[in-house]
Amino acid sequence: MCRLLLCATFFILHSSFFIPLRAQRDTIVFTPQWTAQAQFAGYYVAEAKGFYRQAGVKVRIEHPSATQPAMSRLRSGECQATTLQLCQALEVVDGGTSLVNILQTSMNNAMVIVSARDKDPLTQKGERVGIWSVGFGQLAICMSIKDHLDYKWVRFAQNVNLFVTGALDATLAMSYNEYYQLVQAGIRMTDKNVYRFCDHGYNVQEDGIYMTRDYYDSHKEQAQRFALASRKGWEWAAAHPQEALDIVMEYVDKNHIATNRVMQRLMLEEVLRLQVDRESHRREFRLRPDMVQLASRLMAEHKMLNREVKYEELKE
Amino acid sequence: MRKLNAYIRRKLSVRVSLWVVFFAAIIFNVALGFLFYQAREAVRQEAINRAMQTLDKTSLRVEGILNRVEVASNMTKWLVERHPDKADSMFVYSRGILLNNPDFYNCSIAFEPYHFENKGRYFSAYTKYDGDSIRTIQGGSDLYQYFFADWYLMPQLLGKPSWTEPYMDLDVASNTSEMVTSYCQGIVDEHGQMIGAINVSLSLNWLSHTISAVKPYPNSYSIMIGRGGTYFVHPDSTRITRQTIFTQTLEQPDTAMTALGRAMTHGQEGVRRMDLGGEACYVFYKPLGQTGCSMAIVCPESDIFSGFDRLRRTIMAIVLGGLLIMLYAFIRIITRELKPLRRLAYEAEAIASGQFDTPLPDFQRVDEIGQLSHSFGNMQQSLVKYIEELKDTTAQKTVIERDLLVASRIQMGMLPEKFPSRDDRDDVQLFASLTPAKEVGGDLFDFYFRDEKLFFCIGDVSGKGVPASLFMAVTRSIFRTVSAHESMPDRIMTLMNKTIADMNKTHMFVTLFVGVLDLPTGRLHYCNAGHDAPLLVGAGVGELPCDANIPVGFMPSWQYTLQETHIFTGTTIFLFTDGLTEAMDADNAQFQMERVTDVATEALANGQQEPHQLINRMTEAVHQFVGDAEQSDDLTMMAIQYIKQQSTEQILKRIVLPTDLQEVPRLNAFVEEVCHDVGFSHDDTMQVKVAVEEAVVNVMKYAYPAGQRHDVTIEAACNTLRLKFTIIDSGRPFDPTVQTVADTTLPAKERNIGGLGIHIMRQNMDSINYERLGNLNVLTVRKKIHN
Repeated sequence: MCRLLLCATFFILHSSFFIPLRAQRDTIVFTPQWTAQAQFAGYYVAEAKGFYRQAGVKVRIEHPSATQPAMSRLRSGECQATTLQLCQALEVVDGGTSLVNILQTSMNNAMVIVSARDKDPLTQKGERVGIWSVGFGQLAICMSIKDHLDYKWVRFAQNVNLFVTGALDATLAMSYNEYYQLVQAGIRMTDKNVYRFCDHGYNVQEDGIYMTRDYYDSHKEQAQRFALASRKGWEWAAAHPQEALDIVMEYVDKNHIATNRVMQRLMLEEVLRLQVDRESHRREFRLRPDMVQLASRLMAEHKMLNREVKYEELKE
Repeated sequence: MRKLNAYIRRKLSVRVSLWVVFFAAIIFNVALGFLFYQAREAVRQEAINRAMQTLDKTSLRVEGILNRVEVASNMTKWLVERHPDKADSMFVYSRGILLNNPDFYNCSIAFEPYHFENKGRYFSAYTKYDGDSIRTIQGGSDLYQYFFADWYLMPQLLGKPSWTEPYMDLDVASNTSEMVTSYCQGIVDEHGQMIGAINVSLSLNWLSHTISAVKPYPNSYSIMIGRGGTYFVHPDSTRITRQTIFTQTLEQPDTAMTALGRAMTHGQEGVRRMDLGGEACYVFYKPLGQTGCSMAIVCPESDIFSGFDRLRRTIMAIVLGGLLIMLYAFIRIITRELKPLRRLAYEAEAIASGQFDTPLPDFQRVDEIGQLSHSFGNMQQSLVKYIEELKDTTAQKTVIERDLLVASRIQMGMLPEKFPSRDDRDDVQLFASLTPAKEVGGDLFDFYFRDEKLFFCIGDVSGKGVPASLFMAVTRSIFRTVSAHESMPDRIMTLMNKTIADMNKTHMFVTLFVGVLDLPTGRLHYCNAGHDAPLLVGAGVGELPCDANIPVGFMPSWQYTLQETHIFTGTTIFLFTDGLTEAMDADNAQFQMERVTDVATEALANGQQEPHQLINRMTEAVHQFVGDAEQSDDLTMMAIQYIKQQSTEQILKRIVLPTDLQEVPRLNAFVEEVCHDVGFSHDDTMQVKVAVEEAVVNVMKYAYPAGQRHDVTIEAACNTLRLKFTIIDSGRPFDPTVQTVADTTLPAKERNIGGLGIHIMRQNMDSINYERLGNLNVLTVRKKIHN
């Protein structure tokens, strides 16, 4: 009887502690695709509030550097998870690297075109428009071709200086980042000079957490725990935006990022807004097949993809 | 506070001192305000000049270094474009720039992808100081694709050399970063195509130090922002590169800060006054060369004006202190100067209490107070004198008032006091009232009965008081005298006018209405000399038509006109003076004729047209209208109501006799027959016979010229009360009733001639009445039927 009790006790302990201990054996290095900012608030919250630890997964957030962008870190195995925009992910999958979307945070597209001199971007045919040199602008290129605007794309490294100095006629911007950088630079935003892709049939989801399929297949449970804890982090951030902002600023200061609290507050509010699905009005944290299909078809039509990447290819 | 107010009100010295200090304070304030304003403007202008000079100096220093960068870059560009195909030379050129300019941060000569056949996608000759040594390497890689960098793109996009926005330059080799700004310009080939760019960078450290060191005032500071408003120099280091000049305005809209930011980012130069951190500051700003950056010096207003404010506070304190001292000194001085006045006030109070012989102090002063004391002494003497005179005057006034009271009683006594009422007479009732405005007045009314006629008059003498009252007394007396001998109002009025005008030395006059009411018939003869027309209150209310005659007393030769009307039984003649229509209330509005008519109409509607009722009602209406206002004029009203009930007369007999004394027996027989018919006693018959004979014989004797023969008609009539004989002739007008009645108490020798006949008639008959109707003399005698 005693032996039986001992066995039962061992089984219970084993089932409740052994799995987390096993899961924690491998640390998930998570590399957001950009420097520390409120765009990644949910992950900072999850780490700071111990949601990862509580989920039994060991996560280390390492931001990319100039010499080590996020995708190259994922490919090289220096990190096991990264955030990618859906269009970027489609490109990567189309390029032969199989990815798995373990958590989709963005439900809406954040990309805008901001025009200089209060012009309507749709009237700027053939003019010079800034685009990130590291990608992100796939939908804009599709739109430029489809709407016969034939923008002359000028690839810039990272900031809005070119636009501010007057070297560009318009620039692409994320509504949560560059958009507010431009506002902070004294650029006047009107209904006329801002073109929002989400309002013109290009509402394609953006940020999601991706892993290589190989890693995911071998660490499925750990990945799911990581995804759930990350989701919890975002939900907490949405419920406690001020505290979440405090946590974001800790990461910003630790990484010596040249930004400020006002900017990060605006970014957090916008990112949280983009996480709410337009139709269900909820934070769904899911990849929508229709949006995958839309993005994939657009990119394939405009020769950015060799083939249409299917929704199923990105899922577990 | 109330006590303080009471104290100030009581103390002249404090009040005057406060006024003086108050006006002095106003003058000081205006003068100092103007002075301070001018001084402040001067200080402000000085501060602007000083700050702008500092800005200019700093800007020149910065531009000096920037020019060196631009010159070095231009020279290198010239070299590069001469040898665009020699890749290795680029390292030499790049190195050369830094060798010649050790204060430059780095230099890159970069080319388009695959520009050099053997150098691959990236070629950038990059040189940087590494401690004391210079490191020159080939830059550019997949991780650093320089052709996406601002410094590479800007000259291409802008089509001209330009300075980049300050940025953090990462040196991968040493893993260090530095805030730099770069001067970049494109490299073109012989076709003008851009094949690369030259980038020469300057560390912002020296610029920060240079600008931070600018401190024209102890608490002033300098800032530098880039094209996008990013702070690159700021005393708050947490803002540098992290915030822009617009950042705070996103949370707390600040139009002043936004405007400043826009002005600076647009490369403008100027001065602005604005609140920064709750403190008023002056911001002086100016662009830094062609870098796109702008520098500003922020000077707290308190710093700029600290010296001025200190001076102002000191001056204000001195002025305030001076005003307080002035107030104290004025109070003391005025109090001392007013001390004699206070004493004078005490003495004056003693005099005021009746001690007129109180000795006044002798101040031995020649100023206003001395004059006042002197005047006070004179006043005291005059006062004593005037008091004595006042006593005499008061005594005299008392006598006059007593006399006036007596005069008033006499005047009132002259007026009829007993008014016939319905109880007294069956033909007429009358009531009148006179209320003088002063003790005595100029209004008059009078009436009396003679035979069967009511003689009455109402008048208003011009002016008021004693003269008017005397004139009124004279008028009334003359009316009585004249009307005793005349029965027609026009005659009475004409005679009165002649009498009064002849003796009128004072040029006074009287408006007068004279009426004679024949009581048996109700026929009214009247004459109006400029008086208010009476009202007739009977079947309705209306004015009695009156001819326009002048008042009595002006022209002795004026012939007044006679008017006649019939008064029906029950009709009241309402007479009044202008004291009624011109009675005034407190607002000087007059009672006016309309109201008189209204009151009379109202009285008639209520059946109150009897004289007493009508006058009471009118008096009440006037009092109500006038209210508490003082009576402005004498008020006289008289109401005469004709109440005789006409009974049907029956003509008994009629006889026409020639004017021959031989016919007297026929007359007597006629009278006897009539008297017998109505049942008169023998004595009564005798009395009637004597009276009628006397009247007819008078006609026979005197009515016609001697020797002429005419007729005289005797008509006998009676009603249930009286027997009436009417003697009618067409002889010369003769009114026996106005003849002086013979005094039968005198011996026959002492009596005047005439008057006996009328006396006999009056003795034997109850009434005797004369009327001139057309060219007929109509004499009526009546006697009551006793049974």
